[in-house]
Amino acid sequence: MAAAAPARAADLEAGSRKSEPCKACHGADGNASIPGTPSVAGQPVYFTHWQLIKFRDGRRKDPQMTPFGANLTDADMADLAAFYAAQRPTPRPAATDPSKVAAGRELAQQHHCVSCHRPGLVGHEQIPRLAGQDLAYLVKILRGFKAQTAGDLDGTMTTAVQPLSEADIENLAHYMASLPPAQPR
Amino acid sequence: MLRITLTLLVVAVTLVLAFGPFVQAQQPAQPPPTWKQGQPPSMADSPLAPIAQPPGPKAPGEIPVDKIKVPAGFKVALWASGINNARVMTWGDKGTLFVSSRVAGNVYAVLDRGATREVKVIAKGLNLPNGVAFKNGTLYIAEVSRITRMVGIEDKLDNPPAMEVVYDTLPKDLPHGWKYLAFGPDGKLYFNIGAPCNICIPPDTHANLSRVNADGTGFEYVAHGVRNSVGFDWHPVSKELYFTTHARDWLGEDTPSDRLDIASKKGLHFGYPHCHQGDILDPEFGKGKNCNDYVKPILKTGPHVAGNGIEFYTGSMFPSEYQNRAFLAQRGSWNRTQKIGFRVMMVTLDAKGGVAKYEPFAEGWLQGDQIWGRPVYTRQMKDGSLLIADDYAGAIYRVTYQR
Repeated sequence: MAAAAPARAADLEAGSRKSEPCKACHGADGNASIPGTPSVAGQPVYFTHWQLIKFRDGRRKDPQMTPFGANLTDADMADLAAFYAAQRPTPRPAATDPSKVAAGRELAQQHHCVSCHRPGLVGHEQIPRLAGQDLAYLVKILRGFKAQTAGDLDGTMTTAVQPLSEADIENLAHYMASLPPAQPR
Repeated sequence: MLRITLTLLVVAVTLVLAFGPFVQAQQPAQPPPTWKQGQPPSMADSPLAPIAQPPGPKAPGEIPVDKIKVPAGFKVALWASGINNARVMTWGDKGTLFVSSRVAGNVYAVLDRGATREVKVIAKGLNLPNGVAFKNGTLYIAEVSRITRMVGIEDKLDNPPAMEVVYDTLPKDLPHGWKYLAFGPDGKLYFNIGAPCNICIPPDTHANLSRVNADGTGFEYVAHGVRNSVGFDWHPVSKELYFTTHARDWLGEDTPSDRLDIASKKGLHFGYPHCHQGDILDPEFGKGKNCNDYVKPILKTGPHVAGNGIEFYTGSMFPSEYQNRAFLAQRGSWNRTQKIGFRVMMVTLDAKGGVAKYEPFAEGWLQGDQIWGRPVYTRQMKDGSLLIADDYAGAIYRVTYQR
């Protein structure tokens, strides 16, 4: 029986070092402050890693992220995903509208968001935390799924957002942005 | 005037009171995500959900290949690793192994360098490119809504030719939209068009096996009432089409069973969504139906086992009784509290093509309730050894037999 060589565990220190170029937009600890830019602190490891793969392979396109993703190795992605998963997410300051939050809460029920994103929309595995995410980013990514340009992993989101109106997207984003971000896992 | 206004007001209030609740209820209930469709209300809090696909392949040291158990005389070795989400394998004429993926969006070329394997990505960013088939120097790739080809690919692995469209008049639905693709003995390209749901009345264009000529002409349906078949092969002697099918979820721990079927002629109906496993009417879509009106499986392969690959053994390495046996790769369950599958089963057929024996060939990816890999497709090598692709570990194993 061959003794298994120790697996190459994702490296938090390396992830921290490799996150230097990310800090300008995503913040020193993955908590961004630029409207339209998502916070990646506390996001599940699988989620961040899959997004980086999609940027590298061109399935998800973004003027800023596409060039960064193009040169990442599998190890870079694993290290970055592990580093950001270990950071504590903080709320994004957003002027959420109480009536839109209330409408969004209803919509989240009707559209079964918690089925995959979990109660509190905290995310897990390949599914992102939405709670406390940036309002403008949430609107942008939901529009992207509706237009089928956001780079869906397996079709679940593309299918889910097709019935949403522009007002629905806005209301959902207000609701998600208003929720407290979860603790890092 | 006042009276009229008051009357109108009363009418308006009455209308609001009468129809208010209906107006609210008219907001149609949205379907849940595919994997949750058909879940009974009593199971609304079930923790069962599909197993997440890791974003990267496991390192060789993370793959406990010694845990895979095979019959006496057989050996298993790790043949290739680092192939993210490795799924269907097909051989090129010049000895290149082409490997598909699903959510990773890649197609790989694997070159056997003796002691090691070299892996090249020949296409990336594709839409669930599960299907790959090879004929006359050309690689065919099936994504969700199109079949494309790369002509002369084996001479251009470092600079792959453009993907030419062969056939793209296909539904764009993503649920069960990924395809298995294979050439039949008639030279036609066969593929599945899955049901766009867990359980529903599918459009007439879905839940079938279909085929086109290699040039994309002559589309026709081969089999109907097939929920989602992502594995098929033709018997080496009878040339009949055998196919595996994933059954619906949320109907219990032990029902319905996945199935193995024979499409003995064109146009048969295999029961979905009305009848499952040949003898269970669907609680919703089976009303007024009779299971005897549909083709029954030749084998119930087990509940939720997720039977993918099927391949008849025709090699010379394994003992002679292995000739024409079918290997069934079962990726394993998620919709069952006690995990099942995560193994390669073996079917021995009787003289009439029915099932004489159904037994494990390779297992061990499931340890207790923990999994470390998911066998998804097999492919024979020229020397008669058997490759097994594991899309969870991103690896390929080789099973050999020593006389």
